[in-house]
Amino acid sequence: MIELKSVTKRFGSETAVDAISLTVNRGELCALVGTSGCGKSTTLRMINRLIEHDGGEIHIDGRPIREFDGRVLRRRIGYAIQSTGLFPHWSVARNIGLVPRLLKWPAARVTERVEELMALLGLPVEQFADKYPAQLSGGQAQRVGVARALAADPDILLMDEPFGALDPITREGLQVELRDLQARLQKTIVFVTHDMDEALALADRLVVMKAGRIVQQGRPLELLRAPADAFVASLLGGDDRGLKEAAITPVVERMRPLSPRLLPQARIAREATLHQALAMMFRERVERLAVVDDEDMPVGEISLRGIVGAGLSEGRDR
Amino acid sequence: MPGREAPVNRVVPTLAVTALVTWLWLPLGSIAPNRIVPGDAYLLAQAVGWSLAMVSCLPLLGLLAVAWRPTRSGYRVALALTLLLLAALPFWLALMAQQHLDPELPQARVGIGAAWWLMLFWLSLLLIELRTRLALAGWRLALSLVPVLAGWWLAGKGLESLALRQELAGREEAFGEALVQHLLLVGGAVGMSLLLGAAIALAMRQSPRVERLGFALLNFLQTIPSLALFGLLLAPLAWLSARFDWLSALGVSGIGWAPAFLALLGYSLLPMVRNTFVALSGVEPGVLEAARGMGMSRGQVFRQVRLPLALPVVLEGVRITTVQAIGLTAVAALIGAGGLGTFIFQGLGQAAMDLVLLGALPILAMALAVDALLGALTRRLDHRAGQTTGTIE
Ligand SMILES: Nc1ncnc2c1ncn2[C@@H]1O[C@H](COP(=O)(O)OP(=O)(O)OP(=O)(O)O)[C@@H](O)[C@H]1O
Ligand SMILES: [Mg+2]
Repeated sequence: MIELKSVTKRFGSETAVDAISLTVNRGELCALVGTSGCGKSTTLRMINRLIEHDGGEIHIDGRPIREFDGRVLRRRIGYAIQSTGLFPHWSVARNIGLVPRLLKWPAARVTERVEELMALLGLPVEQFADKYPAQLSGGQAQRVGVARALAADPDILLMDEPFGALDPITREGLQVELRDLQARLQKTIVFVTHDMDEALALADRLVVMKAGRIVQQGRPLELLRAPADAFVASLLGGDDRGLKEAAITPVVERMRPLSPRLLPQARIAREATLHQALAMMFRERVERLAVVDDEDMPVGEISLRGIVGAGLSEGRDR
Repeated sequence: MPGREAPVNRVVPTLAVTALVTWLWLPLGSIAPNRIVPGDAYLLAQAVGWSLAMVSCLPLLGLLAVAWRPTRSGYRVALALTLLLLAALPFWLALMAQQHLDPELPQARVGIGAAWWLMLFWLSLLLIELRTRLALAGWRLALSLVPVLAGWWLAGKGLESLALRQELAGREEAFGEALVQHLLLVGGAVGMSLLLGAAIALAMRQSPRVERLGFALLNFLQTIPSLALFGLLLAPLAWLSARFDWLSALGVSGIGWAPAFLALLGYSLLPMVRNTFVALSGVEPGVLEAARGMGMSRGQVFRQVRLPLALPVVLEGVRITTVQAIGLTAVAALIGAGGLGTFIFQGLGQAAMDLVLLGALPILAMALAVDALLGALTRRLDHRAGQTTGTIE
């Protein structure tokens, strides 16, 4: 668990982070969003003590971080940055094994772990282990960076725009991977991103920052439905906010039991989002879809009215 | 590979034709009765006769033919021809000496002419061109030069009358001493400036004020002409050695190796400090942030990340400094520091150009060798750092 209590950081006369308070529980993924220069990276760096906070307190698992040795703390916290920061004179495998080696794991265990991670991140060992970072594409390098952050199996992960240079497909794959990892292993993750869809899709807790302060924080749906001010509203997509909400609401939530009416031809998977259902209706020129399970068996139906939530009041305070 | 079928190579024939022209129409060498008299120039045909002169041109014509339809094997043949020409080079001088030297005159000597030097130059350019065409590794090229050197060594036996050799005769010991002295001065100054330079660069990284001061001082030092610097050092050093017996016992005085060494050190410091400083500061911030972010200690970051990444640039500084010091040490002979420059200034004084060459040629060779060796080492380290993607294979 990470707790920040009115944490402040000043660079000279400029206040980069201004008395922010934030709690990220174990197993939670917290996304920091905000315009450039609002203090997101500074916040991350204070948590692993790459820079020291000037005011307030930061606790990890209930202990103030100043009680830890900085190096020991950082070896316990995974850190991935957009520029990757891979060592250009080290091979991919050596880069990934950095923290385990710092922790003096036996060589065989390091090798095993490196290969495990490369497989996890879709980097075939024979093809990539001996390459140097300069020989990688931007996306491959970022995956190596994430693998390195995960190497020593840290409880806490700090990620500063780690998927910035990835194509949408790889990116989505890694997002799923990350969410899965976090759900399975109860990682505590603080994630900085400029991609609002990514933040909405991944975050348990969304934190909007502006000029060193937290403007609003909460579950993504809460923020989408009730943005604190015009800044949050426009950051979250302005007029598109409704569609973004649809994009993170699963179809099952608005599904109705099968009606005695004729079953619609067009069908949509139960796990799909309302956004996808809308797109399907638009494409097929219909107002009703059959909702099917993994075996393609109809389990319900969803209508345009249902998606929009007309006459639905429980959707508001769900 | 698509590049291999390139229709006509323009570099090889251009060089071959130019070589042909200069080889035939410029003097191959000269014969002088003694070291002072300028001597008579001989064209190739006059020196060795028309038939042999024609034979000597055949490999060049061969090169032209190969360049017409260049293939990989064609380039191999061209390389062999070039090496053959190179190996044969001293034999033409030996032949000339044999046919034209008057055995009655023990002082008579063979001078090397423009055609010979230029041929050496064109052939070197050809080697470079063929090396890139064949993507030859440096060490393979060096290996292929071994038979050439063997040829030169053989030819050397028949060339006692070469003016250079005559100048060396009777000076072997002095030459050896000068060579060692030259190497000692260069090695000492470069080694010392590396140590000092690294220390200064590290100190300058601690604070911007030290950085500004350091660069201002070193830049100023660099602007003083070398002779003036020797002069400036003369008085204080003479005074010091007069004051302290142990200094004069070490051979420190206003002239000699001590001021030369100090001046060399002064000139070497700027490039050394600048490169070391830039190298250490130039490591990408993201890499350093990640290194610390993974939990490396400051020492580990320096030793495992900053230093290895800076090394190629530091070595670049060593290369520049060494080449510069090799040249400057020649000037230091003027204040009695010894070294190969001694022969240059003696030769200038006696109007004996061959004696000048005796000093200048080894200096040139030394500078080229250091340049090539350190350059190769730098590229190797750079390659490990993944900055280059390697040669086409
Ligand atoms: N080392 C530093 N020295 C001085 N000022 C700094 C330093 N690091 C950050 N700042 C300042 O602190 C503020 C916040 O920077 P920070 O890097 O946290 O922004 P960010 O939210 O991560 O922005 P971006 O989205 O562009 O990455 C900026 O105004 C920046 O200029
Ligand atoms: Mg940032």
